Formats: sequence, structure tokens, C-alpha cells
Amino acid sequence: MRSISAIFVKQARDALKNATIFIQFILFPIMAFVMTEMMAKPDPEIPNSMFAVTFGAMFAGMTPLTLIAMAIAEDKENKSLRFLSMAGVKPHHYLTGITGFVLIACAVVSVLFALIAEFSGMLMIRFVGVLLLGATASAALGATVGIFAKNQQSATALATPLAVMLALVPMMSQFNESVRRIAGVVFTVQMNVIFTNEPTASMAEPLLMICANIVVFVGLFVLAYKKKRLNS
Amino acid sequence: MVRMDNIVKSFGPQTVLSGVTFEAREKQIFGLLGRSGAGKTTIINILTNQLKADSGSHEIGAPPFETGLMLDEDGLFPRLSCIENLDVFATIYKIPRKKALEALQNVELGGSEKKPVNKLSKGMRQRLALARAILHEPKALFLDEPTSGLDPVTAHGIHKLILQLRDRGTTIFLTTHNMEESVKLCDYVALLHGGKIVEQGVPTEVCERHNAMKTMPDMEAVFIKMTGEAAE
Ligand SMILES: Nc1ncnc2c1ncn2[C@@H]1O[C@H](COP(=O)(O)OP(=O)(O)OP(=O)(O)O)[C@@H](O)[C@H]1O
Ligand SMILES: [Mg+2]
Repeated sequence: MRSISAIFVKQARDALKNATIFIQFILFPIMAFVMTEMMAKPDPEIPNSMFAVTFGAMFAGMTPLTLIAMAIAEDKENKSLRFLSMAGVKPHHYLTGITGFVLIACAVVSVLFALIAEFSGMLMIRFVGVLLLGATASAALGATVGIFAKNQQSATALATPLAVMLALVPMMSQFNESVRRIAGVVFTVQMNVIFTNEPTASMAEPLLMICANIVVFVGLFVLAYKKKRLNS
Repeated sequence: MVRMDNIVKSFGPQTVLSGVTFEAREKQIFGLLGRSGAGKTTIINILTNQLKADSGSHEIGAPPFETGLMLDEDGLFPRLSCIENLDVFATIYKIPRKKALEALQNVELGGSEKKPVNKLSKGMRQRLALARAILHEPKALFLDEPTSGLDPVTAHGIHKLILQLRDRGTTIFLTTHNMEESVKLCDYVALLHGGKIVEQGVPTEVCERHNAMKTMPDMEAVFIKMTGEAAE
């Protein structure tokens, strides 16, 4: 527990000092806020929640992936992980601390999106819950990339295209039926399905798909971890 | 007690250690000398279980959490300040912050506690890495070239600190390229060459054995005599 909180605090302090990371947390909500105020609200054709939902889903799909991959790769490259493990920090403590911080920060930002979308009550809980579930899938994928990457550079090279793809697939699948059928397995597409359906529609199937994503990514992570460990 | 018995280690076709045996007594300073590439860092990595030897046995007489380590790769978190870096480990070891501040004072970084690591000079980073290594008052301390690249005054301060730690009962294992340092500081030295320990003993005795006692024991002459054949 001490190890986890030490890593958690370290990661939190680092996020506040690291402009490139900090901006990832605030850029999407700011864009959502500005576009909601400037475009959605004056235009009766655009639902007030549209931009918050779109950017929120992008944020949940992209940010945990890139942040966690970068954090693990950096600690590995700088040999910080060696000193942590010498001090008795177990790999699962380290990973819990890192992902724990990122997911809690994502939860806070998700509430921000909900406020911008002017969701309240059940609608807000549903929205934030789905974002967090997506963020969890993204985080598991990020940890896998972080373990796989030799250094920060290769982590960026792997994580960036993955994140961009995750963000764009839902849009692409709106225009093309066959893309939609294949892309349905991707969690960001399923998040989009939930958000575009009526709030009263059943969420069972998309939620199941998102959870399946989480299971697959955690499985990938376990494989990567067994193969590469944290230190090599 | 730090001990190695007949350790063999190869990297691919290159045999770096071909039967290394030595014993460093408790509460003494043991100096490992050898040319660049001789395998000194490799020995520290094996002793601290970060690298597996091909054969042979070793022990350090202290569990990992009572072991301190300083390598040339310092593993510091670059954006965190000095004290925040130590905070991470103070939390892990359950040490009050007061101790972390004391450790900073001990390495003369008292005035720079709030400076981020990426704004420190090389010598300051090295001292911070030393502060982290001694933070939890380890029983066994491994220092890989603790004073390389430091100015004489700072190096002298570090020597004083190392001697103090020994007098308080810490077993210290260090490597160095500084022959004067090895004589001044070490209770016992061992010379690694060609994958084996080729000479060892109390520094003055080693120098006497090789007729290298001038007004001061001339470890440099011994070093060049024993390892320098190729450099002539
Ligand atoms: N991970 C590794 N893979 C392959 N070769 C390695 C590895 N680590 C060390 N070596 C090789 O082992 C030899 C000993 O390296 P080591 O770092 O132990 O030397 P050293 O005595 O510490 O040198 P220096 O005084 O320059 O620090 C070198 O030839 C090095 O190239
Ligand atoms: Mg070395």
C-alpha cells in the first residue's frame, strides 16, 4: 500500500509539472467547452451535449493509453524502475500506482465533460461510467505498450497511431457500413454506440463489448509482461 | 559480509567474469578497482540481483530493503524536485520527511531541496543519488564510482560522508578509477583484471608488495603494473 501511494503521488506531482501531460488532461475539456458555448448553444440544430460527448469519448480512448505508455517507458529508460524494485516496489504495485493516478484523474475530467454536457442525475452517472470503462480499456492497452517499448521514443511511436486510430474509428464507421461491422469490436466505437443511442436503449451489448476489450488488453498485457518483465 | 565465490558471467561470446572470488568484511570499505570494461559494474549488478551470473554463488548479508545502491545511471525522476525524489523513497521505506531533509543536508543539497532534478548539475545529481542510497540507513551500500566527475571539494565531502557511514557500521562496496581515493578511503582493495581478481589486500600492504611505497602508497603504479600491459 505504501509503495502504491508513493508511486501515485510521484505520478500526480509529475503530471502537474509536465506540460505535455498536463495539457492532455485539459485540452479536450477546454475544446469541448469552447465549442459548446460558441457553436452548440447558439445553434438549435446542434444538441448542447454533442461536443462534450464527442471530445469526452476521444479523451477516454486516447489519454490513458498515451500517458501510461509514456510514463512506464520513461521510468524504464531512466532506470528509475531499477531503484524502485531495489527498494522493494513490486511490479504490480508500480503499475497500480501509475494507472490508479491516471484513471482517477480521468474520472475528474469525465465529470467535467458531464458538466459541460449539462448532464445530471442518472444521465451523468451513465456518461461518466461509460467514459471510465473506456478509459480502463485504454489504460490496459497503454500499460502493454509501455512494457513493450524499449524507450520513450518507441513508446510514442507505438502509442500515438494507436490512440489516433481509436479516436477516429467511431467517426469512420459512421460513414461506412462494412467499416462499422468490423470496427464494432473496438471499444471506442461501442462507447459511441451508447452515446448516440437513446438514453433509454439497452446498453448490455455495447457494455459487454467494452468489457471484452478490457479482458483482451489485460490478457495482452499479461503476455507482454511475462515476456519482457518490467526491467529489461 | 559481501561475498562472491567463483562467479562466471558471459555476455554472448564475451566472457567478462571468469571465476571471481572475494570477500568484503562487514563494516569495512571494500574498493573494487579495474580498467574500464573490466566488469566492475557487472559485479555490482550481480551482487544486487539485477543480473544473473552463469555460475558461482554470492551473498551480501542484507535483505534488499537494507541495501543502498548508487549507479552511474541515477534513475532520478527528472521533473520532480530533490526533496520530492526522496519523498518517493521515504514513503516506500516509511521514513519521516525530516530524515529525507537530513539526507539532503548530508550531501550538501540543503539549499536546493526544491530544485527540479533536470536543473541540477551532474555533481548535484550524483549527490542526490547518494542521498537516496543512504536515506534508509542501509546495512550494505553499493557505490559505483561515487566521485567520478566531481570537483575535489565535493569529492572530499563525499569521502567524509562515506567514512562516517562506515564508522556507524555500514558495509560499503565501491568501485573507483581514482587510485588516491582507493588508498585514502578503502580498508581493503581488490583489483579485477582479465575476468579475475589479480591482487587484493589492505592498500598499504598491496603497495608494499609491489615496491610501490613512496612517501605515499602508490596504488597507481600497482594498477598500471598489473593491468597495463596492453597500454604500453
Ligand atoms: N548488458 C550487457 N550486454 C552485453 N555486454 C555487456 C552488458 N553489460 C556489460 N557488458 C560488457 O561487459 C564488460 C564489462 O562491463 P562493465 O560495465 O561491468 O565494466 P566496468 O568495469 O564497470 O567499466 P567502467 O569502469 O567503464 O564503468 C564490457 O565489455 C561491456 O561491454
Ligand atoms: Mg562501470
